[in-house]
Amino acid sequence: MQIQKDKYTRMLHAIAYVVIIGLSVACLLPFLLIISASLTSNESIIRDGYHLIPKQFSLEGYKTVFIFPDEVLRAYTVTIISTVVGTTLGLFFMTMAGYVLARKDFKYRNTFSFYIYFTTLFGGGLVPWYIMITKYLGLLDSYAVLVLPGLMTPFLIILMKNFIKSAVPEELFDSGKIDGAGDFRIYWQIVLKLSMPGIATVGLFLALYYWNDWFTSSLFINDTHKYQLQFYLYNVINSAQFIAQMGAGTGVSLATEVPAESTKMAMAIVVTGPILFLYPFVQRYFVKGLTIGAVKG
Amino acid sequence: MQMNKLRGKSMSILLTSVLSLTLLAGCGGNSNSANKENAAVKESNNGGNTAKSTNVGTEEKTGLDTSKKVELQFYMLGDAPKDLSSIEAEINKMAEEDLNATVKFNYTTWTDWDQKYKLLLSSGQSIDLIFTADWTQYQAYAKKGAFLAIDDLLPTAAPTLQQFVPQDMWEAVKINGKIYTVPATYKEYVTNGFVWREDLRKKYNLPQPTDLASYEAYMEGIKKNEPKMLPLSLNSNVRENLHDAYTSLNAMVGGPLPYGIGIKYSDPSKAYQYWGSDEHKEELLTMRRWQEKGLISKNVLNVKDTIQDPLIVGKAATIFADNPTRFNDTLMKLKAAHPDWELGYYPYGKMIGYATPVHPIHNGFSIPKNSKNPERALAFYEKMVMDKRYNQLTQYGVEGKNYKVDADGYYELIGDASKNGFTREGMNGWAWRNPEFMIFDKSYDGVKEIFAELDKIQKPDIFTGFAEDYTSYQAEKAALEQVEKQYLYPLQAGLVEDVDAGIVTFMEKAKQAGLEKIQTEYIKQWNAYVQEKGL
Repeated sequence: MQIQKDKYTRMLHAIAYVVIIGLSVACLLPFLLIISASLTSNESIIRDGYHLIPKQFSLEGYKTVFIFPDEVLRAYTVTIISTVVGTTLGLFFMTMAGYVLARKDFKYRNTFSFYIYFTTLFGGGLVPWYIMITKYLGLLDSYAVLVLPGLMTPFLIILMKNFIKSAVPEELFDSGKIDGAGDFRIYWQIVLKLSMPGIATVGLFLALYYWNDWFTSSLFINDTHKYQLQFYLYNVINSAQFIAQMGAGTGVSLATEVPAESTKMAMAIVVTGPILFLYPFVQRYFVKGLTIGAVKG
Repeated sequence: MQMNKLRGKSMSILLTSVLSLTLLAGCGGNSNSANKENAAVKESNNGGNTAKSTNVGTEEKTGLDTSKKVELQFYMLGDAPKDLSSIEAEINKMAEEDLNATVKFNYTTWTDWDQKYKLLLSSGQSIDLIFTADWTQYQAYAKKGAFLAIDDLLPTAAPTLQQFVPQDMWEAVKINGKIYTVPATYKEYVTNGFVWREDLRKKYNLPQPTDLASYEAYMEGIKKNEPKMLPLSLNSNVRENLHDAYTSLNAMVGGPLPYGIGIKYSDPSKAYQYWGSDEHKEELLTMRRWQEKGLISKNVLNVKDTIQDPLIVGKAATIFADNPTRFNDTLMKLKAAHPDWELGYYPYGKMIGYATPVHPIHNGFSIPKNSKNPERALAFYEKMVMDKRYNQLTQYGVEGKNYKVDADGYYELIGDASKNGFTREGMNGWAWRNPEFMIFDKSYDGVKEIFAELDKIQKPDIFTGFAEDYTSYQAEKAALEQVEKQYLYPLQAGLVEDVDAGIVTFMEKAKQAGLEKIQTEYIKQWNAYVQEKGL
């Protein structure tokens, strides 16, 4: 009996390892290809295609990227600032919303919950959203537009609310009140302290959202100085693709230099590098917070 | 208990009805708000008209009211040059003096530009000037009322520009009898031609490509003598690189025709069904033959690169079809990398007997209907085209800093393109080129030569002025595009062994997608256009 079970477990383990190794290779290979391509001379990429080991080693790609380090750096700064500001403000607002919605003595909480929940099901779509932001809020081309739209994500508010509900016993509110704490004090000193794992989770979701966001830049930013990092990269790569697509019919001759293959790859490495190093350190909180939130939710 | 159950039931009914209502509202909302918007626009247009007429009445002599300072929003496609802000400042200094206006140059970037373009025009944002072209669907947008008709504005706001652009060009850009765009007057050709490695042709004594047969013979020679080389550089866009080129060799009318319609230049009133015809079959058989001979690569549908790069690094020997300007670009890059290589060019026009210069719609600027200052915008645009200072500053940058003009009057970039903040035509200002102020790069002489040759056989482009209205078959159109990608592309790349069976399957699927409805409607519209223009 015992042996059989062991055998079974061992087999399961073996299968799991094979699958996981297979998956990680599948994830790693494209990345290795990008690294290798960024170190290959452009001519060789076009002629011989991509190889895992560069056929003709060259640092040309990186040199081209760093001719204009100020542009990459500027995009970095924009992304970092919008990530920090967005995450801090977003956490503040969302924990507050979560706290309020978790309090049973808040009379309209169902109405508000429904109102928030409703937006996850029905949205106006792209055009109304665009009109709202550009015409009524006048946020076109401003730094605010990079931060504001992500501040109140319905899904994260609901997550936060459920988390607070389960992590903070209701009696604590009463006992806080009896001891003379106001609502804000209860929120700030009791609720926040008790829901740290939840905050870490939501914070990570938010930070990743802001770091990876390119769509907002794409739609609302015209000034090249305000591009986010991801959009900067996306744009560089896309311009080249666009020119390939435009084809013979239009005769649009673009005077601007099209980045070569190796440059595009080098840029991808430069852009993804920092988050790659950051991720392993942050990830453990991520997993922990997510499970805690999930069990109770 | 009963009560609760009842309440629960009624609650759920209420909820479902609310949800379905909002669903309906969500669907209808767009058209509703669009209608409202249209109405509002109409109103404001009317208001604008009356205001304008009073303006004209009171200020007939000065022509343009510049008493109020305005900022114009100017939209271009593509990426902005690095030195844009300094150029903008310089332009603003002049514009403020001349027109009491400043301008903000905005760029869409090439990333998802079509979506952004759509949003810019549909969101009612206040934009004063925007780039238009046939490939940005000027005709469709104009028809839908996205732009302001400028017929009445021109004489007051931009009289010199009105004089400068030839009358037949104004006529040619009209949609439903109104002018919605200011066409560019620089004449160029984007018609196709064969591109090939001339040094290899000489080395192996191959025939010069002047028609389909000699082109094929050349490629076979390459295949035989340089087995490692790709004879033909292609990418996944086989529709453009193979099909469109092939049909333009067969004297099809102007631009690439959609939905398998065929219209011959010599007989425009007879639009016919090209897909499934013998002519179509011959095209596909030719491609199959090329594939069998190894002239087209097997994985062509997976290639995403440009078609020019492989030629420059010596991986491929020819491009089936490219226009003179891009051929020249390729030539320059090839020469820079491999000075001893040569590139040949043979325009299709010489074979089929005519070439069409670009239609006036191909490059232009419109005033969107939401512009707050259409008059000033037009006056400013006039400056961009007609005033040498404005024009050269926005086309070439600052003289002495970005470029210099050599003794023979040729344009020369200072430094190299990656360090210079403003390359030639760095603002993508193809639309406000003024032939009188243009400075050309020395390397452009080759293009001019080709243009001069084509000038001798030029005939007007009769196709591009046609504005297709696909609202009645939008769904079918989308379905058909899918079918095309799945069933026609492999045929066009010669990848299907049994061509006859391939055509049958494709035609079947296309018919299911609603091909007949599309074709009937398209041909009806085309015939109306032919009637109207008297072709």
